[in-house]
Amino acid sequence: MLLIQLAWRNLFRNGRRTFLTCLLLTSSLVVIILMDGLILGMLGVMVGGITQTLEGEAQIYKAGFRDRFDSTLYLESPQSILNVLNQDETLLAYAPRVVVPAVIGSSYNTLGGMVYGVDPEKEAATSRLRQALIEGEYLSDKPRALLMGRLMAEKLEIGIGDRVVLTASAVDNNELVQGLFRVSGIVQFGPKELDESFVFIHIKGAQALFQLGDGLHQIALRFKDFEDANRSDLALASKIEGENIEFKGWLALQPGIGAMLEMTSYSTLIIGTVLFLFASLGVINAIFMSIYERLYELAIAKAIGTRPAFIGGLIVLEAFGLALISCSIGLPIAYCLMTYFAGSGLPLGGNIEFSGVVLGGRLYPELALHQFVQFPVYVILLTLVAAIYPALFAARITPARSLQKAL
Amino acid sequence: MSIVIEAQNLKRCYGSGVTLVAAVNDVSFSIEQGEFTAIIGPSGSGKSTLLNLIGGLDQPDAGRVLLQGQDIATMTGNAISDFRRDHIGFIFQAYNLIPVLSAHENIEYIMLLQGVPTLNRQARVLEMLELVGLSGLGHRRPSELSGGQQQRVAVARAMASQPDIILADEPTANLDSKTGAGLLDLMRDLNAAHGLTFLFSTHDQMIMERAQRLVHIKDGILEQDETR
Repeated sequence: MLLIQLAWRNLFRNGRRTFLTCLLLTSSLVVIILMDGLILGMLGVMVGGITQTLEGEAQIYKAGFRDRFDSTLYLESPQSILNVLNQDETLLAYAPRVVVPAVIGSSYNTLGGMVYGVDPEKEAATSRLRQALIEGEYLSDKPRALLMGRLMAEKLEIGIGDRVVLTASAVDNNELVQGLFRVSGIVQFGPKELDESFVFIHIKGAQALFQLGDGLHQIALRFKDFEDANRSDLALASKIEGENIEFKGWLALQPGIGAMLEMTSYSTLIIGTVLFLFASLGVINAIFMSIYERLYELAIAKAIGTRPAFIGGLIVLEAFGLALISCSIGLPIAYCLMTYFAGSGLPLGGNIEFSGVVLGGRLYPELALHQFVQFPVYVILLTLVAAIYPALFAARITPARSLQKAL
Repeated sequence: MSIVIEAQNLKRCYGSGVTLVAAVNDVSFSIEQGEFTAIIGPSGSGKSTLLNLIGGLDQPDAGRVLLQGQDIATMTGNAISDFRRDHIGFIFQAYNLIPVLSAHENIEYIMLLQGVPTLNRQARVLEMLELVGLSGLGHRRPSELSGGQQQRVAVARAMASQPDIILADEPTANLDSKTGAGLLDLMRDLNAAHGLTFLFSTHDQMIMERAQRLVHIKDGILEQDETR
């Protein structure tokens, strides 16, 4: 109790120094929380951008299909799989697809691209296809309707209502097949690759055109909890995976995201370490200043019988108090800033495409519990570690020498 | 009378090589229970160094200090801290008190270190404050007390732990003559009434006048031991 009382009162002996040291620790805490929030927000956008745009959080397909998007590798009898998906409670939605490379021609131009046969309603619940519509109508039961990426439409010099011819080889017999469609809508996802290469037609029309019967090339999945997609013990995966059928979560589908996640967590660690290192040096400096300022007093305390451990403990406790005050000030500030920026976003100065994902004009930091539990604990621990050396110094002072030096 | 302190062939040097100076050189003397003794000498004669050695604040290069028969020169760490806490009371020139604690808390501090139970502690603090004439001022911080009052609190704190001896290093150096005389009279009264042993290091004439015994030091050597 005496130790706590002394430490607390000592903290406020030099208010300016305590304020400045707290400011240093508080700023470090606020910066690291904001930075983590921004990184989480950016990762959320990037992961969401990749998984929700078209890829899905997981995919089911015939083994080998994704290696070259070979359209001859398709799920011939997908009904049993669809039955399993219909009964699964972890899923939010799924989208069956036919995916065939084709030549897409207008009256003015011809381009190579990828034709996606999709179920309009199921696709809308799984990907952002419906939200990506910027002009015209979304897919319906009309058999000749086609959605086209904005950049592809520009290259083919066509617009809503214009005719498009899809030319590809039939899946089973490699015979040339052609279909005439009309552009019913223009879509824009953001990433260039999607907007200049993909067209979307109704799945029934695609199955008929490419002679697939009921066959599917892939089924994109969306989970209630997107982390489920990467669980190695996911029951759904074990029910579906077979000799020729693969089930892959988004991390396996996009190993680049995994590397990016790892890289960002490392960069948070490095920036956090550097930030806290500088803060710790500031704390060490402030504590040493306070020790030198009361060297005489500490020497007298020691002379009258205060044990070295008590003196060392006092210094550590003062550092703990500093950290505690800093956290109590820093946490509400960080919370307010995070809440504000989570609502209004931080301006990025225009759209930025990063790893195939478009970050909009603003970045929205993401609040997470660990920022308000883990980071304050780090601040407290690092301050305590920073206090060890000055505490040992104070505990080891020789009364006779210090009394002489201080006078 | 029993011997409280016995200094045997104490030696303490500073510097090295050609700059080596013996601040205390082969000093031996003893102090009996209830003595009011002053170590006197000019500035730089080694009297404060001698007091530090006797109080266990510094370690001798040679010789030993026996306090109640125990050699404190060999004690280190917690052992010497605990010994000082329980057996020696200190009064220094100035800034004796912990500034963030009140007079009451400063006196209580040493008893807290000793683990004295709360009730006994509180009673003893009040008793000490009364003894040094500061009843009613216990709540004041050192900055709210005059220099003389601060030194009285230091005396009360030194006595609170019920030590065998009180060591005072130039306790009147920062006081005006009237306040200094008042403080010395108080210590002299405590010595007479309670049989407390006092050992001063000083060149203050007022202390010399009141001391029963004067130990003269010059250039680190005990020149004269004069009992009145």
